[in-house]
Amino acid sequence: MALAVKSWKALGTSVHVLATDAGELVTATTAVSEVLDEVDIAYSRFRDDSELSRLNAGPGRPVRVSPLLAMAIDAAQRAARLTDGAVDPTIGHAIRVAGYDDDFSRVADRGRPVNLRAWRVPGWQAIRFDRRSRTVLVPAGVELDLGSTGKALAADLAARAALAAAGAGGVLVGLGGDIATAGTPPSGGWRIHIAEDSRVAPDADGEVICVPAGGVATSSTTVRRWTRGTAVLHHIIDPQTSLPATGPFRTVTVVAATCLDANIASTAAIVRGEAAIDWLLSWRLPARLVENDGTIHYIGRWPDPSGVAAGATPYSGTRPAVRGWSASFSSPASLCWALCQRCAGRPLPGRGSSPPVCTATWRWRPSFSSRFTS
Amino acid sequence: MNSLTPTQRDRGLERLRRLTVGATAGALVAVVGVGYVAAASYAGKSSATASATAANTTTSTTTSTDSSSSSTDSSNSLQQAPQVPTTGSSGSGTVTSGGS
Repeated sequence: MALAVKSWKALGTSVHVLATDAGELVTATTAVSEVLDEVDIAYSRFRDDSELSRLNAGPGRPVRVSPLLAMAIDAAQRAARLTDGAVDPTIGHAIRVAGYDDDFSRVADRGRPVNLRAWRVPGWQAIRFDRRSRTVLVPAGVELDLGSTGKALAADLAARAALAAAGAGGVLVGLGGDIATAGTPPSGGWRIHIAEDSRVAPDADGEVICVPAGGVATSSTTVRRWTRGTAVLHHIIDPQTSLPATGPFRTVTVVAATCLDANIASTAAIVRGEAAIDWLLSWRLPARLVENDGTIHYIGRWPDPSGVAAGATPYSGTRPAVRGWSASFSSPASLCWALCQRCAGRPLPGRGSSPPVCTATWRWRPSFSSRFTS
Repeated sequence: MNSLTPTQRDRGLERLRRLTVGATAGALVAVVGVGYVAAASYAGKSSATASATAANTTTSTTTSTDSSSSSTDSSNSLQQAPQVPTTGSSGSGTVTSGGS
């Protein structure tokens, strides 16, 4: 089945729409464009006239927001809740102070040093949001940034709208590397080239997976980088420090039921750092993690890369069939604390949730983890 | 060696019985408590959820549309894709997932 493809730029990034029925491509792209226009005016951080900008500009009072912005805030709060705050919408001030204060195409590559302090962002709990009345209250000093979940949500909404407009068949929407699908996939599934940068050509050497349905998202610290003084900064902010995340993984790709869920998981994995593997395993999400030194980890039911596209550089390395789990604690008190945290439904190790006097390490060994070296 | 009177012996036996009952009850509570904590600590899913996931895995494309529309409905967990990804090869209609 020949797929019809249309690509263009929107929301400061690339948009790709694929349709299994070539005759419905125009209809599908029109629907996608409309959704992206609505998203832009609802929650763009870089438009003064967006609903989100007006909300941030008038803190301290309840505001009734549009259904789309309400959906985006709801999605952001859900992301924060499910990631124990690793993906938090209240990083707006932190990312602006770090230098990402405009559409990225207008952010200067290099600039004067910025004074960055490590401090905890206000936290998603500070936002008062009533889903039924669509009323939100942003306290003074808090700035919302829905960029992390907003793009993935937009991809999901666009794919759904495109399918509804097309009426049948299957649609894929790629929005800056975040991929959402809807409807009947092409034979064998949607082919996704996994890269660290979404600008890499789809036919370049590398790993390709086939996804019958759901979403794929990749978060990476290797793109959207800028330099201030001697510091190299990027756009994935750790809410615990308000600084760009400094974990061991530079790129994480996740496959989930929706692009939004995949993006939540991939972003949280970058922020969580070493604890990401255990956390992703607990959600049973297939994921591919690239360490800063290039080492690649495959977890969950990620397909075996030994059968990658012809011409791709083969991976070498061992597959240590590690099974089972172990846990170690520095003291009985830390064990009790860890168990209490688990009972409270908080994954371990929870960043920023460590007790002040003891540290607990909770190390699940991945059941079907594979380790390859690129 | 002091010999116990029958009263003293009965009192001692009664104390021993109370200690035995107490220790048994305490052990029972401890077993239940530790079991509960261990169950709560294990990062798994309820059998109902697992069954639903398994069912989704074997369902065909109609499920994909449903799952894609449930991004905000399933608010308490990150949802797995209805079918696992497989290894593919590059060709027409391939799109790139990467950072942006």
